[in-house]
Amino acid sequence: MLKFSELSESIILAFDSIIGNKIRSLLASLGVVVGISVVIMMGWALNGLDEALNQTFSIIGNDMIYLDKWDWTGGKKWNTLKDRRDITQENVDFVTNNIKSAEYVIPNINKWGSSLDFKGINYKGISLVGVTSDNAYTPAGDLIDGRYFSQLEDKNNENVVVLGFKVYETLIGDNKTLIDEEIKINGRKFTIVGVVKKRGTFIFDMIDNQIFIPYNTYVGIYGKRTKGISIGIKAGNNNLDLVRDEAIGLMRASRNLKPYEDDDFSINETKAFQDSVETIRVSVWGAGIAMTALSFLVGMIGISNIMFVSVTERTKEIGIRKAIGAKKVTVLIQFLSEAGFLCLVGAIISLIFCSIVIYILNFVIIKFNPSITFLSPFIPLNLMFISTFISVAVGVIAGLAPAIKASRLTPIEALRYD
Amino acid sequence: MNIDNNINTNNSQSEVIIDVNNKKDKTVENIIDIQDISKLYTMGTEIIYALKSATLQINKNEYVAIMGPSGSGKSTLMNILGCLDTPTTGHYYFKDENVSIMDDNELSTIRNKEIGFVFQTFNLLSRSSALKNVELPLIYAGIKSSERQIIAKNTLKSVGLEDRMNHKPNELSGGQRQRVAIARALVNNPSIILADEPTGNLDSKTGLEIMKLFSDLWLEGNTIILVTHEEEIANYARRIIRLKDGLIESDTLNPNPVLF
Repeated sequence: MLKFSELSESIILAFDSIIGNKIRSLLASLGVVVGISVVIMMGWALNGLDEALNQTFSIIGNDMIYLDKWDWTGGKKWNTLKDRRDITQENVDFVTNNIKSAEYVIPNINKWGSSLDFKGINYKGISLVGVTSDNAYTPAGDLIDGRYFSQLEDKNNENVVVLGFKVYETLIGDNKTLIDEEIKINGRKFTIVGVVKKRGTFIFDMIDNQIFIPYNTYVGIYGKRTKGISIGIKAGNNNLDLVRDEAIGLMRASRNLKPYEDDDFSINETKAFQDSVETIRVSVWGAGIAMTALSFLVGMIGISNIMFVSVTERTKEIGIRKAIGAKKVTVLIQFLSEAGFLCLVGAIISLIFCSIVIYILNFVIIKFNPSITFLSPFIPLNLMFISTFISVAVGVIAGLAPAIKASRLTPIEALRYD
Repeated sequence: MNIDNNINTNNSQSEVIIDVNNKKDKTVENIIDIQDISKLYTMGTEIIYALKSATLQINKNEYVAIMGPSGSGKSTLMNILGCLDTPTTGHYYFKDENVSIMDDNELSTIRNKEIGFVFQTFNLLSRSSALKNVELPLIYAGIKSSERQIIAKNTLKSVGLEDRMNHKPNELSGGQRQRVAIARALVNNPSIILADEPTGNLDSKTGLEIMKLFSDLWLEGNTIILVTHEEEIANYARRIIRLKDGLIESDTLNPNPVLF
């Protein structure tokens, strides 16, 4: 249909036209530059959002399930949850003794609003958590200093404590280390044996305000009849769904729930968090896409406009070419190529510009708040390809109307044009 | 139609008499055969007859001038002959093919391969060199680059412009530009050369040079159709068709063509 020589001629012409009118081409592609820049910045920010969410939700561990009276995602109203029965030691024992698919079962008992005394200074509002030594095998057991307490220490009700990162940060002062230092928890003396690494992100950092003592030590001081027991279950290499199902089954049995009754406890896991924000996430992405579509519309108008001018300028030339034998399709491709190239140039300018902006932004943001680790200093590769592709596609669409007009010019009319 | 003999010439060329009525003459190849074509335009409620009716045949190696005042329909006829336009009624057979029912793409191909246009205002691409301009029909014919260059160069050589081939049109004189246009018209070996007031934008001396070139081309076997309103130019042709008010007024052999 179209000969190769005609095709390459059209493309070369398109290229020449752009180079021949540098300023005009630049101005025309400005709209595209803005449009693509919005796409890139939006894509980068949304990627950051997703990464932030991932980081936050993974805090509790991708292979962990926490059974609790409360729903940690905040999805259910407090009213409907407050009347639930607490989780009991019997529940804990039943699950621990009967579960087959999980690697570890770790009971947690919480005492919020505890206070610390260290070197004469008092700190309030600390969350005291009693856990078994197996907690060392969960993300809550990743340490930056010292060690976790042992099974023996747990058995012997030893007064040892592992500090959360924020607590450590507050207490460390000029000391080199806090290990083996004495601390008073709610008035009782404890020895610090370990420090947990920073787990919180800037959204969820109260998790670093916890301090951990052996389960038996806790029970020894505060008794078993306390509120605030939750059960951490680590699936390890086992299938999480299997573990979840087994755990739910065992809990229901332990709490004597009839088959028709709903669960009277919550399953807190990474997946639950992800699901809870999914609607918001979709809305944010939706809004982002709407904005970029709008800015593209504006860019497209700029391209169409310039292409109409380009066609008018070259009317006589089109007439000559058609008289000599150029076909409609040849002219069409010439102008579509010109529009496409304009947008390609626009996309490249955007990519360079945004790369610089993102690098600087990332640098500044991290300086300002180092806990923001979810933003990338570079444009992700797939975003580069997508934005370039969209840009050229938009260009071709925007150039369609003028290109069709050009191809339809009759040689006689076109030759008369001055 | 008048048939005329012309044996008395001052020139060594002898004239060939062509019987325009006898289409069945086997020694003559027919190129153009138009039958009762017309062209009308509607402007609102008015109908404008650019061409009311025209019937004629043109054979290979004829040298024809189409003459007429402004409004006579000669430009319209020329556009139809050159396949730049289609007639409203009637038939146009180009080398026995019915061109009047062809679509855009087919007409483009005919213009590219069979018709060589020469315009009054040259109509060269101002941003391209002479060589590139001459290559243009070859590009649309699908000839590859290396071959194109050779053919284009040779054609420029034949019109005497080989030392100017890399110049752009604005670096050439009027006569040189028209030569480039003629080279471009010749490059695909067309069946007819259609020239619209080819000397209209040239001074008389240069105009003469161009008419000599056409004469040479005719003697080499080309078929030349000249459209003009000037008697002196028309006189170079061997057959003159006169139009008036959209009709062919006369179609005669030229008894005293200007000779070089």
